[in-house]
Amino acid sequence: MEPATIFGLIVLLAPILLMAVLGTSSLMERPLSERAASRLVRLLTTVGLLASLGVLAMMLVEGTRHVTVLSVEWIGVPYYHFLVKFVFDRLSVPLVILTFILCGTIGLFATRYMHRERGYNRFFTLLAVFMLGMVLACLAGTVETLFLGWELVGLSSALLVAFFQERPAPVRNGLHVWVVYRVSDAALLLAAVVMHHMLGQGDFGRLLGNDPAHPWPEGSTLATPTQALVVGLLLVLAAAGKSALVPFSGWLPRAMEGPTPSSAVFYGALSVHLGAVLLLRMSSLLVAAPALAGVVVALGLITAVQAYLAGSVQTDIKSALSFASLAQVGLIVAEIGLGGWIPFLWYVALAHLLGHACVRTLQFIRAPTLLQDYRHLEDAIGGRLQRPRIRWVQLVPGRFRVWLYLFALERGYLDTILMVFVVTPFVRLFRWLDRIERRWADFLAGRRLGSPPLVSTKTERTTEPARTYR
Amino acid sequence: MKNLTATDRPSRLLRHAIDQAAHLLPAQGPITVFIHHNTLHAFEDMPFDQAVRHGAMVFGCEPYLPERAYRDAVTTGRIRPDDLLAVLEDDLGLKAIDGIARLVSRIDLRLAMLQYPLRTGPTEELLWFVAMTDALRRVREVASVAAKQKLIAETRRWVMRDLRGRDGANGEAARPAWVAELLEPFDESEIESWDANTWEAVTLELLWGICRDGVRGVPEFTPPPPIPVRHRDLLLQVTGTDIDLQVNAILIRFCAAFVDQGIAHWPLPNRENGFFQAFASLYRKPGSPERWLRRLRPELARLQDSRTSALASIVESLAVLGVPDTEWDGFVSETLLALRGWGGIIQQIETRGDRVAHPIPAGSLTELLAVRLLLERFALAQTAEESLGYTGPLASLRDELQRRLPPPTRTSEEQRAFVVFQLAQVLGWPPDQLHRRTAGQWSELVREIDEFNGIERRRVLHAAYEKRFREQALDALALHARQPAPASPRFQVITCLDDREESFRRHLEEATPDCETFGAAGFFGVAMYFRGVADAHFVALCPITIRPRHYVEEQAEEPREETRRRRKARWALGTAFHLVDVGTRGILTGALLTAGLGVLASIPLIVRTLFPRLAARIGARLVRLIHSLPRTRLRLERNEPDIGPQSAKIGYTLDEMTDIAEQQLRDIGLTRNFARLVFVIGHGSRSMNNPHESAYDCGACGGSVGGANARALAQILNDPRVRAGLAQRRLVIPGDTQFLGGLHNTCNEYVKVFNEDRLPDTHRDDFEYAHHAIEWALCRNSHERARRFESAPLTLTFAGAREHVNNRAEDLAQVRPELGHATNAVCVIGRRERTRGLFLDRRAFLVSYDPTQPDAGQTILARILAAAVPVCAGINLEYYFGRVDPTGWGCGTKLPHNITSLVGVMDGAASDLRTGLPWQMVEIHEPVRLLFVVETTPETMMGLMARDEGIARLVHKGWVQLAVLDPHSSRIELFEHGHFFPYRPLADRLPAAGSSVDWYRGWRDYLEFAEIGER
Repeated sequence: MEPATIFGLIVLLAPILLMAVLGTSSLMERPLSERAASRLVRLLTTVGLLASLGVLAMMLVEGTRHVTVLSVEWIGVPYYHFLVKFVFDRLSVPLVILTFILCGTIGLFATRYMHRERGYNRFFTLLAVFMLGMVLACLAGTVETLFLGWELVGLSSALLVAFFQERPAPVRNGLHVWVVYRVSDAALLLAAVVMHHMLGQGDFGRLLGNDPAHPWPEGSTLATPTQALVVGLLLVLAAAGKSALVPFSGWLPRAMEGPTPSSAVFYGALSVHLGAVLLLRMSSLLVAAPALAGVVVALGLITAVQAYLAGSVQTDIKSALSFASLAQVGLIVAEIGLGGWIPFLWYVALAHLLGHACVRTLQFIRAPTLLQDYRHLEDAIGGRLQRPRIRWVQLVPGRFRVWLYLFALERGYLDTILMVFVVTPFVRLFRWLDRIERRWADFLAGRRLGSPPLVSTKTERTTEPARTYR
Repeated sequence: MKNLTATDRPSRLLRHAIDQAAHLLPAQGPITVFIHHNTLHAFEDMPFDQAVRHGAMVFGCEPYLPERAYRDAVTTGRIRPDDLLAVLEDDLGLKAIDGIARLVSRIDLRLAMLQYPLRTGPTEELLWFVAMTDALRRVREVASVAAKQKLIAETRRWVMRDLRGRDGANGEAARPAWVAELLEPFDESEIESWDANTWEAVTLELLWGICRDGVRGVPEFTPPPPIPVRHRDLLLQVTGTDIDLQVNAILIRFCAAFVDQGIAHWPLPNRENGFFQAFASLYRKPGSPERWLRRLRPELARLQDSRTSALASIVESLAVLGVPDTEWDGFVSETLLALRGWGGIIQQIETRGDRVAHPIPAGSLTELLAVRLLLERFALAQTAEESLGYTGPLASLRDELQRRLPPPTRTSEEQRAFVVFQLAQVLGWPPDQLHRRTAGQWSELVREIDEFNGIERRRVLHAAYEKRFREQALDALALHARQPAPASPRFQVITCLDDREESFRRHLEEATPDCETFGAAGFFGVAMYFRGVADAHFVALCPITIRPRHYVEEQAEEPREETRRRRKARWALGTAFHLVDVGTRGILTGALLTAGLGVLASIPLIVRTLFPRLAARIGARLVRLIHSLPRTRLRLERNEPDIGPQSAKIGYTLDEMTDIAEQQLRDIGLTRNFARLVFVIGHGSRSMNNPHESAYDCGACGGSVGGANARALAQILNDPRVRAGLAQRRLVIPGDTQFLGGLHNTCNEYVKVFNEDRLPDTHRDDFEYAHHAIEWALCRNSHERARRFESAPLTLTFAGAREHVNNRAEDLAQVRPELGHATNAVCVIGRRERTRGLFLDRRAFLVSYDPTQPDAGQTILARILAAAVPVCAGINLEYYFGRVDPTGWGCGTKLPHNITSLVGVMDGAASDLRTGLPWQMVEIHEPVRLLFVVETTPETMMGLMARDEGIARLVHKGWVQLAVLDPHSSRIELFEHGHFFPYRPLADRLPAAGSSVDWYRGWRDYLEFAEIGER
């Protein structure tokens, strides 16, 4: 085996091992001690990081820009191939290195931050699941592998939002995040089905034309413009859910219910960028279908503007940072879209993504220090900190200004719109179908009408506990 | 509707209701200045036990620790059975020996209920438990062998004598049907040869059957829960939909925007017009697709256009909701309590606008109420329509809901029977005895058990928990052999009375027996607005009860040019950092910064996390670059008669300074025997990642760092003119005595001494000696503190411990930089000789006071108590409540906290503003009410309480405990039920150890008080 391949395998094995050990010990109700867990996290992320640096070094030395590791065909029948495959290239290597650095740093941070907290082990197990998901998603060479990583990231994110499971709000918000993720998962799954339908397999190399001779981002897709557009739109939908692009932006501030370190690494830095990573991976589709590129640019810009507006009126530091983060994610997505015409912008987007992830992580973990930081700044400046002058607000006509403020404060009504125009009709439709089905079943079974519906129409109790009177 | 005038009847009633409600809201101001106060301040005129129950009901929180915690304390011996008995005796008095149902005395019944855990649960769970466990096979393990044997033997006799079905003397006729049913599973024909296990099972079956039979038909004694007054509560109970969710979602956002002090870059428009107007102008704009908000719009427009005032709008809303004015008090309170954190902060900022940068107009709380009621009206209308199909007027919604209210769940027969069943086993009540109880007696028994419910049991357990600690503390003080101060001390140290300085002082005296220490409220009598040379604004440094009048400024003693240059550099650097911070939140600036320089952020990220010390050192160097001020001094003196922050009006007059000096020295009893060097050391705490940092600072300095006060006092006392003035008042400070100010950072254990360079050469050696001792004591103190941190190994060396606490202070990931006042429990006001050489485990506030001075009892003690009692009691009670219900009274765990509007923290992205102490601060606290021990006579103390209403209330109503220590003997009298009673120590000697380290080494938990030192 070549050294690069060995290093590549280690990159994969380190997070798998971490998840296995932490997860199994928790499942067997013999959680590791805090010290052992923190050592394990430290050891395995360091190993993973060194191995990914090793891959980078080997690629630089050997001059290859596309290394395939562990290409296994799980199912192979005519017209259907289920392929597990991992690719190290210009896109995945920096992302994997970033993942290890941030997860490692935040893991270390959390070993002290989470000290003596109930759920210490749960936190680190979820962190390991997340890290594994990120590594798989970044390295995925086929859509099936990508889906696996994508799911792990989504699952661990939603569970970490609901980390404080004894309070209702985190659970409610965790559920919200989960539902949005499921929508985006469904889109990804559909994209996979379409890809299989077109090519008989989910290999990105085949779809995008990447191989050792044409490493990312050089390949050109085999798909026709229409095919590229269809697959591309589905992938854009998937990316929009994962990266909180319009109209899904509402979940991002809700994700701040978890402990600070998880907010930092997930929603500030890594999982919020995963959609952008997917779009980068699909970059050659953008060239093939300019309409798709146009959609991506528009989506990115709208998100950026909307998030910037919402961000400038947020009054709590974590929401302010999350919208600031989203504004940049929007720009990154727009850059990727523009890359359809100027491919160099993909590198810009990648650099933007990496730098942005580092900045936000730092800002998030410093968020509880905000008061001290402000005091130091005030002392240095010698007076109260002034709000920055937002000049464009002055340009907005007066009456419109208040409306715009309300629009920003209500975060563009995105959640409400989804609730009123999508969720409620959806639920109503399915309850109606349920009723119809029961009638039919009753009719066919010769029973009397009116047996109780399967799903209670009464809304579930998802409320704060009513104050008790003693 | 016409606008109300201030004198209208509804207006008056409503103002009264709002005032009442405002009183209930949390009194915590902006978090940057955290002031400890009694969480239940609103109920301070009730007796403690009554107040905590009332508070628990009003706020839905816990009054005491959970019963499990107390029972654990019984298991570990922290509470002894004797304590329980003594508390019950005291509690019940003559009622103790009343017989209950002719089965047991009241006190025995209650004792059993306290000592043995009583399982209860939903009826289904109990039935499962009875059916699936061996509850009907084996007598409970906690029952004594004697009780168990008695139970079985009596049953056996009874069954054999009276209940046998087979051709016994009684025949089938006398045997009730249920007995046959019960005995069916057992082979009755073999009854003579049943073994012990069978008899045990038969006993329990009979017992269970009789208990269920007995409680049948006993009436309910606990009154049903009151019917809620708010529509929301009723609607929630009936439909399961909580309208507070949608109302709060809007109000949280809006309140935060309204009070925001600078997080949002775009401030709320029309904020200057007040809460109500700002809300109306904003939410009358179209946008939201939600129906209830769309319907709210025209209403807001109407209110705004008709210039309806907030008060009038409230009256209108109450009328629409059908709330008669007799119910206003309760309804308004409940409504405002639904988002009490935000209501509280609005009320605080409204009344103390001087504590924030952007104050809000008076009346904002009323306006908040007006907005809330409007929102509730529209949310209620929609929810009632959607989930109940109710479209009638809101005024009759409550009646409609009450009709649909499910009947309150009552205690089931099984639940009641199971309690009796368990008690019968531990108390050894045989089934036949129970069987003979009349219906009246069953009723009596059940009522007695119901009366001693969970909260009552916890009250008694808590009293025992406190009693045990009180006795240990009083024993220690009574038995401790006095250690007089050295005749001619080498140096003296005055610190804050803070419990965290107890160990510092002890170690200092252990290190250098020829030093003497004093404790005083940490503002050292210098109440002032202070501005440091690098500070942006003046800060009040004194207890919250005092509003300072004087201004003091720190000034650089260097050439003007140099000062200006530094200030410029500092300004430039600060502005640059601020711009970068702001820039990362913009679109284009953000893109440039993150794409261009973003990766550089990984350097501080990694260094900060992996190498916190290195990061701190680099940071400190950076700070020194801009802050480094070789020499500064305090500007303390003014000539003008007027006082103010302007340059000429800063400072005190000479007379005022002399007054401060005299008062402070007399208070602590330092009037003779001055050493050549006297340190005055204030304290503060600096840490990272800690929104609650101010809660660790000096309470007597209003939640700020107390270094400046210490420094000011030292500077005053060094002034020869002040000394001359003091000499005239017969308080002579020797010419060779020098005072030095200092600051003790209680987090990283570092003492900074101010203006040490001004010390004359003659005192250089004394300084070196004292400095060495202080450093030594700091190491030891770090070591003693480190034993309480689970992440610090018990094997740490002294130097290692100092390094450890240092790391904690600099660590961005550390949520317990220090433990604050977590160990506070006692406050001793008296001479140091009464506590010197006593290991008080950092649990005591120590206030120096010399009762032998002339006039001590009247003026001086009154002054000391007036400052110390509210401050210490406030700290103690805040910790009490924070510990007994960490998420109810406290603000829960720090981990999801999110700084909001720069005034407080929320859980996650949108919650009520969380007030109180975080779990990480109270985790190890033992919630006991503070025990004051004052070195004085009972008569003096009674006299003082008669004059000081505030202290009298705290003592008489039981918010603090009080004892007096006789100045001339070791006699202690304890204040109980309004009088002092002599206290007889339980122990005859104290444990002793050679040094503090010998006593605490290897232990993480609380330790007994002990004598320290070679004997």
